[in-house]
Amino acid sequence: MNCSKTDKLISPYIDGELKAEAKEAFEAHMKACYACSMAVEQVRKQHNLFAQAKQYKVPYGFSTRVMANVSAERTGWFSLTPLFARFAGAIVLLMIISIGMISGGFLSGSLMQTKMVSMTSALSLDLFDPMPPDSLGGAYFAMTEVKDEK
Amino acid sequence: MDKNDTNDLIIAFQRGDRSAFEKIILEYQDRIYNLCLYMLGNKHDAEDAAQDTFIKAYQGLNDFKPEATLYTWLYRIAMNTCIDQKRRPFFESIFRRSVTGEEMVIDLPSESPSPEKDYESGQIQVALQQALKKLSPKLRAVIVLKELEGLSYEEMATTLDVSIGTIKSRISRARDELKILLKDFTEQN
Repeated sequence: MNCSKTDKLISPYIDGELKAEAKEAFEAHMKACYACSMAVEQVRKQHNLFAQAKQYKVPYGFSTRVMANVSAERTGWFSLTPLFARFAGAIVLLMIISIGMISGGFLSGSLMQTKMVSMTSALSLDLFDPMPPDSLGGAYFAMTEVKDEK
Repeated sequence: MDKNDTNDLIIAFQRGDRSAFEKIILEYQDRIYNLCLYMLGNKHDAEDAAQDTFIKAYQGLNDFKPEATLYTWLYRIAMNTCIDQKRRPFFESIFRRSVTGEEMVIDLPSESPSPEKDYESGQIQVALQQALKKLSPKLRAVIVLKELEGLSYEEMATTLDVSIGTIKSRISRARDELKILLKDFTEQN
């Protein structure tokens, strides 16, 4: 075993991943090569540092919070509805809104037309009788008309 | 808890016993939280990621095949969740950090025999966290799974969905980078 091959095997050796035969050859090379044995020592020290790393514990009440979250998801109507049903629901909702808008447009259009007609006629002078016969003006007009005829 | 107990819990869950899931959480919560904490580097994000991991596990446990190992499956979900969390939109990460801003803090009750030892282990902890932070997520993942969770190369390959050859090369690269990052400590010891 040469140094370049040994270099690739340092991590598997430290991690106990070498098969018996390869391990034996590796260790034999270590005895003969100071540089490689130093490289192994370096990785071993690193490995030992990590062995001192703290193991953290989850904050209090974690499992209760997770269970509350999964229960909320489970009971939520939206999560229970399959995807295609949600899609179909959205389409139906859109159709209802569109129909509402279109029919609303028609209704308000025809109503507007009627309103416009009545407003136009209200403002028109066609219906205005300038001198109703029983009014004072009408009587005066009748008198002057008779006078003129004479 | 051995594999048979875990399988019993999974079967109970798949038959509709939701309380079995709480037992699964209690069994794995510390390992998953620890992994998320070392992957993400702060407590708030780690708790969020650990919660998301179990919620995803709850949603997928009905399809879980007993041939796989539950903890490697959970680790895989946790790793993907941590990587996704790292990819959060920029504005969101800024907002979250400004609210929580809490980096990983050493707050476990001291088990060291003396204040000097306590100080030393605190220094090592800080150095390890800073070194891990400087590794790329892929290299950090192999180191966390190997050095902190003690997974074999095969388990790591399953968890990360890569070949054993890739694991070997990543672990070797990660250790080369750590050699420089932890130089002060490895030379002392």
